[in-house]
Amino acid sequence: MPSAWGLSAGLFAATLLGWAVWRVFGGFPHAKRPGLVLAARELAFLAAAADATYPEGGSDLPSGTQAGIPAYADRYVAAVPRSVGILMRLLFFLVEHATLVFSAPGRGGRRRFSSLSPEQQGAVLEGWRTSSLFPRRLVFSSLRAILTMGFFSDPVVLRALHLGAKQIDSPIVEADLLYPAIGAHPRTIAYEREDLVARSGVPLAADAPLHPDHAEQMQ
Amino acid sequence: MSAAVEGEVRVFAEYERDFTEEADVVVVGSGPCGAVVAHELTARGKRVVLLEEGPPFTPQDFELDGALSMTRMMREAGLRTTRGTIIPTMQTIALGGGSLVNSAICVRPPDFVFEGWEEYAELEGTRRSDLDPHYDAVEAFLGIALTPDELQGQRNLLFRDGCDALGIESEPIARNVRGCRGSGECFTGCRARAKQSMDISYVPAAIKAGARVLTSVQVQEVLSDGRRATGVRGQVVEPFSGRRSHRFRIDAKAVVLAAGCMATPVLLQKSGNLANGSGQVGRNLQFHPGIAVLGIFPEKVDPGFGATQGYQSLAFLREGYKLETLWAPAAILAVRFPGFGHDLKKRLAQVPYAANWDAIATCHRSLGTVRARRGASLDPILTWNFDPEDAQVLGGALYQIARIFFAAGAKTILPGVHGVPDEMHSLEEADVLRTRRYAASDFVTASNHAFCTTRMHGDPAKGVVDPRGRAHEMDGLFLVDTGIFPRCTSVNPMLTGMALAHRSAQAVADEL
Repeated sequence: MPSAWGLSAGLFAATLLGWAVWRVFGGFPHAKRPGLVLAARELAFLAAAADATYPEGGSDLPSGTQAGIPAYADRYVAAVPRSVGILMRLLFFLVEHATLVFSAPGRGGRRRFSSLSPEQQGAVLEGWRTSSLFPRRLVFSSLRAILTMGFFSDPVVLRALHLGAKQIDSPIVEADLLYPAIGAHPRTIAYEREDLVARSGVPLAADAPLHPDHAEQMQ
Repeated sequence: MSAAVEGEVRVFAEYERDFTEEADVVVVGSGPCGAVVAHELTARGKRVVLLEEGPPFTPQDFELDGALSMTRMMREAGLRTTRGTIIPTMQTIALGGGSLVNSAICVRPPDFVFEGWEEYAELEGTRRSDLDPHYDAVEAFLGIALTPDELQGQRNLLFRDGCDALGIESEPIARNVRGCRGSGECFTGCRARAKQSMDISYVPAAIKAGARVLTSVQVQEVLSDGRRATGVRGQVVEPFSGRRSHRFRIDAKAVVLAAGCMATPVLLQKSGNLANGSGQVGRNLQFHPGIAVLGIFPEKVDPGFGATQGYQSLAFLREGYKLETLWAPAAILAVRFPGFGHDLKKRLAQVPYAANWDAIATCHRSLGTVRARRGASLDPILTWNFDPEDAQVLGGALYQIARIFFAAGAKTILPGVHGVPDEMHSLEEADVLRTRRYAASDFVTASNHAFCTTRMHGDPAKGVVDPRGRAHEMDGLFLVDTGIFPRCTSVNPMLTGMALAHRSAQAVADEL
């Protein structure tokens, strides 16, 4: 029979463990749409990091979540090899939970990143960015790159900055008589030798420079 | 079952069962070096099978988003890094290899680079004058020419203006393009089909001459019988997933490895440590570490328009670095801006006013290794250490770029180096870039120029191949990628790799 002291200690330890597990894994908002690979808690972290970096208002640009950064990151993680995806998810986990150990500045700083105030989130990210420790800066650079690529994947952002992709017609070249689209069979190649110039309407020697103000192609 | 007939290309959808082939020569890798060898040998009437692990990409397969493009076109999703000093480095997996996603720069290194090669590696016949006929042949085939002003865009022309103001020699970059429209999309695949990447130039020419081209096939072992290479074997792999299926074997009188500086040594190691009596296979790994500086101008630059890399300066090559202009997607430009929140969003309005210029450094002191992993993976384990003295060279390059920016009229530069201010508004402020003592970890650097892992050397005890790419220890085995360079080229290596490959093709033909 366990002693009363042992029972109390066991109950205390179990309570502590439960509290710690809840602090790490519990209380995240449900994702509006399930991710391809990321869990709701990871999407919640990405949404917080996205809006801390690109908040709503202040310019014509959308916020990080309006620009679809969490969904972009989800697609990106789904596209990379599994081993790389695991590392990226560990990165999200690390930044989200580091403030449970290393408190963010200000009142209530020992909370998950996504639960901090926008000012605290900015201060935490700045701490990662300017750290004297190279691995911390590397973590920040990786996160920042994912957030920024996601932000600039939004046509609204590109249009606002006049940086959208140009509309370019691909001329037909000899290689188009040889290669089908990836995954397709060569019998799907639609081009014949007489198409080398005609079909696209773009001459083979399309040597006229593309003007910067060429009509932008938006999704 | 034969998988291919002469003058045809096979793609993943066509493989139905295991197969074997016979050829005079099997070439592994369809990047710039392998494609040249395949074409030259086919043109000489040899029966050639060219193998490529990646698929052919058509314009409809290109992905404009840089990150997603890398997941499709690069090994390890473009996120390969070294151990030791962390440096990202990429390797393409596509028909045409790196030529599909590089910026088409074609530069002949100056004489002193080759003189250094001869002295360092006890070589004969590798002077610039020895190689000039081969450079000429490749340049004529690809239509390599200087980038005209009307295609430069402000991002490139401002570099020229800054150099002119300082009296620094600069020049338009020669590129393998025909009909370039300055769309700045070299890195994700040229939708304008102007870049003469191997998949639309040398490979179709080889096919027309009778080469058999098999794509989506992964070579896993070089076969040998005593001292003679006899062929290769491997498996068909599905595009993107890399899932392996049917097995194949190619029997050939000669094997040419052009799988790249990182894959060729792994292949040799996986083949029973073939051709490695010198112990040099996988050693001596060198990079051209690169750094970029962002400059903000008072007038719009339209950084998206213009040749991806249109201007360069070779004035500092002897000091250890080359300066050049660089296109980057808007997201990469934006990553450099400091700050968060509304402040950052305001700064993003400066992106259309930004130009990106870079330096690549000659780093003979910074060496690494390539090792094969245990198990079936062919991804290499890379180790590399950035020598502190080489890091200082890169610091000097940073300062020169700052000088050129301010001379060209930039109002702000963002050097992107740890330990110095995020933004600098004058050359006086930028002086710290010249005087600072740098640590390797201060830089955000990267390199896709890799060399020397199967180096040529006059002494078989110190190198893997002779100056014509013939393995010292094996008959019928040739290596023709940048791994055979005895030292780095100090300039972009594609053209030199192709010129050496052009010469090696004759050596292969002579041996058959």
